[in-house]
Amino acid sequence: MPTTITEPAADVVILGVGYMSGVIAAELSIASLNGGKNYKVVAITKGPYWDYVNDFSTTKYDEWGVGLGRKYDSPLPLQSATIRNTPYQFALPVRRYTMPIQYHALGHGVGGAAQHYGGTMGRQGPWGYTQYSSTIARYGAPFLDTVNPHSDLEDWPLTYAQYEPYYVEWEKAHGLCGDYNGSATNQPSDTGYPWMSQNYPLPPSPLTPVGQSFQTAAQALGYHPFPHVSALASQPYINQYGVPVNPCVYDGYCGGPCDYACETGAKANAAYRTIPAAMKSGNFTLVVNSFIFRLDTDPISGLVTAARYYDPQGNVHVQPGTVFFNGMWGYNMIRVMLLSGIGAPYVWNSSPASVTGSVGRGLTNGYLPYRGTNVSGTLPNNGGNAYPAGNGSGGSVDIYDLMDDNFDHSVSALAGDPPFIGGAEIGAGGYPGGGPGNITFAGGVSSASMGGTFKTTQKDKYLPTKTTLSSTPLAHDLPTTDNYIDLDPHYTDIYGDPLSRLTYDWTPNTYNGATHLVKKVKDIFTQMGAQNVTIGSTVAPGAAHNDWWGHHLRGGCRIGANQSTSVWNKWNQCWSPVSKPVFNIFGAGEITNTSGDNVPSGTHVAGPQSYRAAEGIKQYLALLTPGLLT
Amino acid sequence: MADQTRREFLKLGLAAAASAVTASAIEIPLFNNQNSSMQTKLDNANSQLNNANSQLSSANTQISNLKARVNTVVGFVSLSVTEQSLLEKIVETIIPTDTDPGAKEAGAIYFIDRALAGDYGQSANMFMDGPHVLPRIPASTTNTLSVNPTLSWANLPGNSSAPITYTGGSIGTPGVGAGITSSPRVGSGINYQYPLNFREFWRVGLVALQAYANSAYGGNFETLSSANQLLLLQDLWGNKPTSFSNILPSDFAYELTFMTWAGFLMDPIYGGNQNMVGWTFTGFNGVNFGNFYGEGQDQKALMVATAPTRLKPASLAQYQQQASGGT
Repeated sequence: MPTTITEPAADVVILGVGYMSGVIAAELSIASLNGGKNYKVVAITKGPYWDYVNDFSTTKYDEWGVGLGRKYDSPLPLQSATIRNTPYQFALPVRRYTMPIQYHALGHGVGGAAQHYGGTMGRQGPWGYTQYSSTIARYGAPFLDTVNPHSDLEDWPLTYAQYEPYYVEWEKAHGLCGDYNGSATNQPSDTGYPWMSQNYPLPPSPLTPVGQSFQTAAQALGYHPFPHVSALASQPYINQYGVPVNPCVYDGYCGGPCDYACETGAKANAAYRTIPAAMKSGNFTLVVNSFIFRLDTDPISGLVTAARYYDPQGNVHVQPGTVFFNGMWGYNMIRVMLLSGIGAPYVWNSSPASVTGSVGRGLTNGYLPYRGTNVSGTLPNNGGNAYPAGNGSGGSVDIYDLMDDNFDHSVSALAGDPPFIGGAEIGAGGYPGGGPGNITFAGGVSSASMGGTFKTTQKDKYLPTKTTLSSTPLAHDLPTTDNYIDLDPHYTDIYGDPLSRLTYDWTPNTYNGATHLVKKVKDIFTQMGAQNVTIGSTVAPGAAHNDWWGHHLRGGCRIGANQSTSVWNKWNQCWSPVSKPVFNIFGAGEITNTSGDNVPSGTHVAGPQSYRAAEGIKQYLALLTPGLLT
Repeated sequence: MADQTRREFLKLGLAAAASAVTASAIEIPLFNNQNSSMQTKLDNANSQLNNANSQLSSANTQISNLKARVNTVVGFVSLSVTEQSLLEKIVETIIPTDTDPGAKEAGAIYFIDRALAGDYGQSANMFMDGPHVLPRIPASTTNTLSVNPTLSWANLPGNSSAPITYTGGSIGTPGVGAGITSSPRVGSGINYQYPLNFREFWRVGLVALQAYANSAYGGNFETLSSANQLLLLQDLWGNKPTSFSNILPSDFAYELTFMTWAGFLMDPIYGGNQNMVGWTFTGFNGVNFGNFYGEGQDQKALMVATAPTRLKPASLAQYQQQASGGT
């Protein structure tokens, strides 16, 4: 019969063990980083610890088991989420994983979803942190209202310059590969990108032929191409915590569209970069296969007193602590707070002026895989690199020239295209990834996927002598008051607690941006020597609707400068509700991005926040009178 | 299908017999090189030996192919007798055999059979809890949906157990459209909302398909011309059948198409893609990263090559065997 077990109290209790939690675990458990203090740190996660040699090295080359069976990922019977497009609709639950992968699974276990991602990284530039005020200042408030009806866009509480040192620590910890920005002088002082005080710790992986072609073409058109920033180690490496890293072996079963785990540990994630350092500290306890379902709060102070979780036998464990770190992925970060009554829950209203609360507010999505305006062409005599080998994010080349406010968005400059702000990271040459199924089914299975004619198109498909270039660019998704997360009234997880409900649809800015950006991409493709470069039919705002849970969710549990609309303050410390902040819980993750700037990887943007939060937690633990940090 | 299995064993037996004959022929030539007649005899004998060796080698290839075939799945654990004959023709319509192997040679039907008997058929990794509300309720201004909340939600502070009504519609215009999420794509994770696991879904789907074959094309699917078989499957994709066991025909067409291709392309360990014919056809390398058979190719070099390198595919089981030091 299940019982309730109270565990010894800890100084720091970490909820979920992904990328951000790994940083907190290392930074708080290693005494030498804390002025000699031996803080006791406990981290709890719902899945196992994956040993890449034992668990991945012989069984990962399995497209059926990995891609559809999702044998290393979060099981849907345990918990799912529901999706609708407007607050007037009934939300349908996600019932299955499908191929091509439309529903990148939640991670399951130490390292989280970073066990199966593609390793794409890239800093968010200065504009991303001030995009509300910068847009108003340059184009005026009416312009923003036009591009983003019911706008809920806000600036970050800190500037890029304030986050820069944290970016450096993050990049060192995870051994990121890249080379500044690829401009003529290629120095951090360049006016190009990405505004770095020092280079990435590792060099980029070798460029693919398509990547080289893109680089040459982009330079000819006056852009500033540079190697795609990747978290797949290009060389052996040892990080600042003394954790050794194996390099990538380029065998092609990687992340991106196919979601394979890495069998050498070259793909950065907490399990093989930061958690090993915490383990060595002697101050760290890792609790696996345990599902957190509530945070207990003190009835008088409102502060968190303990985390409650189920072990695999169904026993309830109570883990008391002084300070808590919410490092769960995406909507689970929000869900545990809503279930526990922590912070002010977001309450939607059809009038933007009447919405209240912050937990669940400002949801955006960093991804529009298709159903958007696109451009494609064929690059002759440039193939062969596609299937036998490769890695998930190395080898390609990007430009930042067409994102943020790096070009003029005024109506006259857009020459008749619909208005938008932001833009897209544009690049080419990455290994497309996959097993044969993922490639055959790319774009979906339809009535055209049957019969001898279709079969002919698949012959030697994985030995291409030419490369199909395709791009579905989009300006980033902006927060509105109509996109949010709350608790679903009808569906529950395996333990009987409500699922997260995502009320979300793509915003006009994404579609409007595509109309303009495809023309620019078309120019680059043409310059590369591609043939038959054509722009697909233009998709208008509202013509297609989101029907997936958006594994690149951003916002929804925002860090901000306004206490009534954000959950976390500038130290990533909870300052909600305004009347009585639950200030002993900190949080960081993609979902804490305030602005929905999807241009570089959201994980990279979240990374510096974890170092910021670690600093905040250290300060908090040193306070004589606990309270909000200033 | 029992017939087919017997045929395979029969062929294997014949091949073994042929091998015995050629083996005894090898033992004939034991000559001294002493004169021209002997030389002629020797030449003849050598030529005989070459023929014999070539026969032996082709017989051995045949044996190893057949052994591989026998060692893979050629029986059924899930599909009923009527489902077997119907599905056999369906998968052969989706990936026909022409000058190259198709679904038949890949054994796609065995892949599907095993999947239906396992996690896929039991929907073991799916979220299957109710309520089950089907998407695509016809849009209308009067179409609302009333659903009772779960008890646990009602018990959370500030909530109640009163039924919740959904009007549908877009922002600013409530009441327009259906009360459920807008038009999920066929094959998307929120599209399948049936209260059936996939084994049951396929059971009712195949029955409905056969009924439609009879009503619209005048006979069982197996008896139709191959052109009509393809047309019928396209009818399902276009939701042409008006009565289809209460499931949307395109939802079943998606599963048929997707699972047949999966049976052609997934690792042989799951019962399809037998002898890796799907990988040989598509040029996929499996887990041969350039040196599995001693080709001496480098993975990093392959990644940056401008021309494709055809690699003989290797399977997951082969990889594991090699990794563990076996042959």
